[in-house]
Formats: sequence, structure tokens, C-alpha cells
Amino acid sequence: MSRGSGLVEAVVATALGLLVVSVLTAAMALGGRVLASCGARGEAEDTAQLAVEAFTFDARRAGFDPAAAGVEALAEARPDRVAFLADLDASGAIDTSTEESTAHVCAAGQLSRVIGRQSLPLADRATTCVFRYYDGSGVEVIPPPTGLDAAGRRAVRAVALEIVLGPARLHGRSGRRILVALRGRS
Amino acid sequence: MNRGAAILPAALTAIAVSASLAAAIVELTRVEVVLARHRRTATNALLAADGCLAGVVAGIPPAWDLDALLAGPDGIRGTGDDGVLAPRAGCTGSADVPPGPAAPPRARVRLTAVAGRGRRSLEAIVGRARVPGAGTLLWLGRSPLDASITGTIFLDGADPGDPTLDAASLGAPESPSALDGWLTSEAGHIAMTARTHAAIGVASPPVAALGPRVQAGSPAGAEALVPGTPVPTLTRVAGDLVVAATLHGAGLLFVDGALDIAGALDFTGVIVVSGDVRIRPGGSLTVAGTLWTGAGAFVVDGALAVRQDGDALARADGLVPLPRLGVLLGQRDLG
Repeated sequence: MSRGSGLVEAVVATALGLLVVSVLTAAMALGGRVLASCGARGEAEDTAQLAVEAFTFDARRAGFDPAAAGVEALAEARPDRVAFLADLDASGAIDTSTEESTAHVCAAGQLSRVIGRQSLPLADRATTCVFRYYDGSGVEVIPPPTGLDAAGRRAVRAVALEIVLGPARLHGRSGRRILVALRGRS
Repeated sequence: MNRGAAILPAALTAIAVSASLAAAIVELTRVEVVLARHRRTATNALLAADGCLAGVVAGIPPAWDLDALLAGPDGIRGTGDDGVLAPRAGCTGSADVPPGPAAPPRARVRLTAVAGRGRRSLEAIVGRARVPGAGTLLWLGRSPLDASITGTIFLDGADPGDPTLDAASLGAPESPSALDGWLTSEAGHIAMTARTHAAIGVASPPVAALGPRVQAGSPAGAEALVPGTPVPTLTRVAGDLVVAATLHGAGLLFVDGALDIAGALDFTGVIVVSGDVRIRPGGSLTVAGTLWTGAGAFVVDGALAVRQDGDALARADGLVPLPRLGVLLGQRDLG
């Protein structure tokens, strides 16, 4: 009987070592994927939430008219675009180059907030992005592609944003739907 | 090479990498939880500010102006506390007159609400409702819970010309749920159409303040109530009005006393009664418009029918300006 390391022992030891390394590698890879997925999911949720918050912020002040100048709440009302008006400086007029005129636009899978000539992307990879309009009875008003006319816009009592992001490689779908009543329209 | 010396660093490296991954996941989760908590805090503060504003608007008494809101706690304009609001706990605010035309009356309200660790401020413009009155068919000066209804009441809130003017059944200084309960309990005596909106809790109509305004409008007397076709008229009856025959009227009828119906009165417009309203068995009161009462008794042993008529309300409002509820005209978040 010989003593010391034999070939069989070396092979078994190598196999066991490879197995352990493989398991560790797989575990670390899984951990990495979980981390990346969690990060992506959190980012998608944050993006959807921020988009909703920006929309809500603008919709809540639509029609703000401290100088009683007859400011309308909506300048545009289309399925893919809504523009809110608010006399923020109480001047009695709307300066369309400032936040007094703020549009939210769904185009090419992106939701953007447009102020004057500036466009701020709020969310990318949107599979659903649509604005909906409701009258005082809660009945949805379906705008034509060219948008509601002035009388139709005046009849709108609430505006909704429906947005769904993804799914992407690292996360599933993230969606939000928010309905905001237009103030001072009762 | 010693195999043990190679395995140990590899194992330590693996442990270090795994620990780093675990720590990163924990940190990511912690950040998301903190963000979610902040969002909830901000949302709660926003809800608190909205609730505070709703309370301020609902607390504006029905009137012709907004002096009660602008006068501060002492209720007197031109004093040091003008514009100071005393909304509910966790909320502070002020009110002033916004720029722009003086009429119709408007006020600018700034409120700050604190909820938990969150704080939100907003600015709002409040004014008076477009429609006179409370938007109700019956606007009672006292809770109807002790009213006596052995006859029938028919309420039709559907406006014949404009569905946006459809009226609520009843407004009174009582909780809406109590009013709903009362209407349900009186279902055998009270009937309503489908377009009649739900009852609302609202302050009493300012009957005492309306009286002098009617008097200043050189009103006609009870002779304006006629058997034939009436002409819309501002009418004031000093003292009780007893109707024993069949009469018609239109415009605004202000009864500075009790209204006692033993016959039939068909009126188009607004009837305001400062005292008791009593409809005796066999008697009928039919109103196309609205009926407002003071703090007197409300006894219906005969038939009362009230249906919405926005045109009739507008005509009455043209005879003498009517009080309106406070409404929110617009708002914006300040941060």
C-alpha cells in the first residue's frame, strides 16, 4: 500500500473544489441579480411616483385665478397631451414661457413635462401613457385626436393620468393611475 | 503549494463579496423604505392641508360677502385680528383680499397643515357659489329630526333646463348621515326622484339678514298671491300668512312669521319663512324653486312638493340678491 496523494484523491479534491466555487459563484451572481433587480424596480417605482406627483402638482393648481381674470384650467385636452394654466403671479395674464402654462405630453413611450420651450422627461419606457377626462357626473369625456374644444374643456371636472412603465429586463411593470379634480369647477 | 493556504483566502473572499452584496441589498431596501415613508408623510400632510381648506370653506356662513372670513375671530372688519383664521388643530392660516375686481367677493386663503413630520402649505381663492341658496330644494334652519311629517313630501331635484343645476333634496344644520337616516326613516312620507342629489349638512339660511334686504326692495304684500296667473314679484308678508284658498305666486315670498297652509299655494321661485311652516291636512304647497325656513317648526300634515327650477331661482335672485354658500375657486400648493 502506497502512502501520499494519489491521482484519484487529486481528482476528487479538484471536483469538490470546483463544485464549491461554482456554488459560491452562482450564489454571488444571484445576489448580484437580486441587487440589480431591486435597484431597477425601486428606480421604476420612483420614476412612476415622481411622474404622478408632478402631474398632480400641476393639475391641482389648474385654473388658479387670484385676479379673477377668467383663466381657464385647460389649454389643451388630448389623449396624449394636456396643458394646464394657472395665474401664479396674480398678474391677470398667463405667461406661456413660465410655469403658468405647463403641459404633460405622452410621446414615443416617454412622458414629459413641458414648460415654454423646455421639456423635462419624467418617465421613459412607458407602455401605457394616456390622459383621461371626466365631466361633473363622473362620465369620461373622450377627446378627439385634435383635442377637446373650448366648451368641452370647460366641461371637464377631473383629469386622470394613466401610466405603466416596463417591463424591462430587470424588473416587471410599474404602473400608476391618478385622478385629480380640477378646483373651482363646481 | 499547500491547498489549505489557497482555500482560506478564496473562502474569505467569497464571504466578503457575499456580505457586500447582502449589505447593498439591505441598504437599497432601507433607502426605498425611507423614500416610501417620506412619500406617505408628504401625502398625509397634503391631505391634512386639503382637509383644513375644506373645513375653512365649509365654515363660511351663507351670506352675500366674505366678511365673516376676512374679519378674523372677533368678527369685526378693521380690527387687529383681521385675516387671522382659526382652523382646526394642526393647521394655521390667514386670509386677505386678492387683487382684481372687488365684485364678486373673493378671498385669498393661505394655510399650513402639519401632520406627523410633514408640513404642507397651500394658497386658495374662495368666493361665493354661482347658484343662489344652498343648492337644495329644502333649506331648513333647524334639524328636521324632530319634524312632524304625517302628510307627504315630494322632492324633484331635476332641473328642467340644465342638469348641472340639479338640486339636493335637503340642507340643514345637521350631519349628512343623520339627514340621510331621517329621509330613510320617513320614506313612507317622502318621495324623491332619481336625479335629486343627496342631502347636505349646511348652516341655516340667513333669514334674519335677508329680511331687511327684502324690505329695502319695496316689496308687495300678500295681495301678490293671486288665484290666477301670477307675475314674478318681490313679496313680503309681515306676520303670519294663512292660505285658506287656492293661490298662485311667483318671484320671492318672504314670510316674516309663520306660513300656515290650509288651502293650496302654488309658487314659482323662492319662499322664505322665518317662523313655523305648517301644512294642514288637505292643504298643499307646491314650489318650483326652493323653500327656506328659519328655526321654527316644520309640520307637514298635508302635501308638500318642491321641484328644482333654476330659472325661477335666477328670477328671484334678480328681485333681491340671495345669499350663497362659500366655494373654492382655485388653489395651488406652496410647498
